[in-house]
Amino acid sequence: MGRYVARRLLQMAPVFVGATLLIFLMVNVMGDPVAGLCGERRCDPATAARLKQEFGLDQPVWRQYLTYMANVFTGDFGTAFNGQAVTELMATSFPVTFRLTIVAILFEIAVGVTLGVVTGLRRGRPVDTGALLVTLVVISVPTFVTGLLLQLLLGVEWGWIKPSVSPEAGFGELLVPGLVLASVSLAYVTRLTRTSIAENARADYVRTAVAKGLPRHRVIVRHLLRNSLIPVVTFIGADVGFLMGGAIVTERIFNIHGVGYQLYQGILRQSTQTVVGFVTVLVLVFLVANLLVDLLYAVLDPRIRYV
Amino acid sequence: MLLEVRDLHVEFRTRDGVARAVNGVTYGVDAGETLAVLGESGSGKSVTAQAIMGILDTPPGRITGGEILFQGRDLLKLREDERRKVRGAEMAMIFQDALSSLNPVLTVGDQLGEMFVVHRGMSRKDARTKAVELMDRVRIPGAAARVRDYPHQFSGGMRQRIMIAMALALEPALIIADEPTTALDVTVQAQVMDLLAELQRELTMGLVLITHDLGVVADVADRIAVMYAGRIVETAPVHDLYKAPAHPYTRGLLDSIPRLDQKGRELYAIKGLPPSLTSIPPGCAFHPRCTTARDLCRTDVPPLHEVTGERGSACHFWTECLHG
Repeated sequence: MGRYVARRLLQMAPVFVGATLLIFLMVNVMGDPVAGLCGERRCDPATAARLKQEFGLDQPVWRQYLTYMANVFTGDFGTAFNGQAVTELMATSFPVTFRLTIVAILFEIAVGVTLGVVTGLRRGRPVDTGALLVTLVVISVPTFVTGLLLQLLLGVEWGWIKPSVSPEAGFGELLVPGLVLASVSLAYVTRLTRTSIAENARADYVRTAVAKGLPRHRVIVRHLLRNSLIPVVTFIGADVGFLMGGAIVTERIFNIHGVGYQLYQGILRQSTQTVVGFVTVLVLVFLVANLLVDLLYAVLDPRIRYV
Repeated sequence: MLLEVRDLHVEFRTRDGVARAVNGVTYGVDAGETLAVLGESGSGKSVTAQAIMGILDTPPGRITGGEILFQGRDLLKLREDERRKVRGAEMAMIFQDALSSLNPVLTVGDQLGEMFVVHRGMSRKDARTKAVELMDRVRIPGAAARVRDYPHQFSGGMRQRIMIAMALALEPALIIADEPTTALDVTVQAQVMDLLAELQRELTMGLVLITHDLGVVADVADRIAVMYAGRIVETAPVHDLYKAPAHPYTRGLLDSIPRLDQKGRELYAIKGLPPSLTSIPPGCAFHPRCTTARDLCRTDVPPLHEVTGERGSACHFWTECLHG
């Protein structure tokens, strides 16, 4: 197990370098890193040249990348367009997005898995067909539509929630945005759980559990669900990384000052440092989430042993 | 009688029509007795067992008639929660493939102990002690250490021993073993069968042994019921049946056993295939494959004729078969 984790961590290194290099090149070579520094206007050539020299942008690209990475490992992600350190932006935005992600994941588990179990056990009945139809609608409708619709109905028309989230962004305020963020994944979790449950319900060990005279809820929870959740956990785990970085739309709609919001601002104002810094951290989050999923897999399914 | 199945009918609603899997099966087992139920795949032997256990998939399965008397009670009239308390505690089942029949993500200790936790309300700790005792009883070496292992960590024979231990956990009055040795190596088959027979004698349980292996039957069974297309075609004490079968199908089965003195010659096989359960032939279901079929066989379903006090044959011409 220890050796497996060590090997996986080593494998993460090239992925990390590759991903960051790619984003670094995209922003610094294809884009113009100093363009955003002069506000709305174009920089005059003399200022641009001075800035380029100041930031070491006249150096070869590989030198720039190495310098950047060296700085990153000392905790220096550079400064954003407004002069704030990128790390400061991260410190305020990551906790917010993290809370939002937790709310979304909880929705996926509570609603998605429950719906999946119910429909999986009643395949072909009205409940199943109805839920299937709803998930299809949710998957097909883009998040910004569901988000804006809920904001309009719950926030503006009925006044159940505040249409915009305060800078503190507590868990209570994040319930509806979390649901919106989770919606598509939630529909997938429902379908995945449903298929898995329906498949395993016919398994021999479930028949054994019934033949042992176990109560129905015990057969379902302890024997059927335990086995059926293995693929679902994989999906949800991988989704953590996706939700952390993919909340841009939801955060824009509900004015949540999280990672997506900062990233959006960074792109809009062509703030190279912000974009590269945030993406670098997101790559790390993704890698760690995937490693945790693989380790969790072994806990859920004892047949998998890592050596 | 410990268990009496009377005129049991089971059918399955499928897309291709109604499959009549069991058509009036009647058999019984006494305490301490072993009844072997013999038949090809699709003869209804497993479905009958599932109906007795109450683990039939309904739908598509449906019990359309008959009684299952167990210790004097008709199981089919019990409520599901009463039925559940009988399952596992008073009658238990051993399945064919222990690897797929045991839960892959729970330790064998958990799966064995579960019987005591659920039916006897024991604590998990006491249940674990019981699980170790059970594993010792079915002679799994190093039981105390292996109780925390998962099913895939055991060999095929050891896994089947765990299945047996699980069935015996609460010392039920009846065990139904559905082809318990089919998935095992020949050398291990005998060990597992001997163990099962020994424990059965020790606890004077009734045993319904479902099999298509005539070799296993001869060694351990007291009586045999031969099934074909959802009916019992012959029932007899094991030695009488081997000596002189009273049904052409049984005769065909016995002739199909490869024998050393026939080395070099072609093996005997009953011609044709078992009928589709959605369209069982009229009259005697075996008539299309029977070498001695006559007009009567094509029109009239033969009842189970009494051959002697403890023998029965569902052949119109059983006397000819018995003496010819």
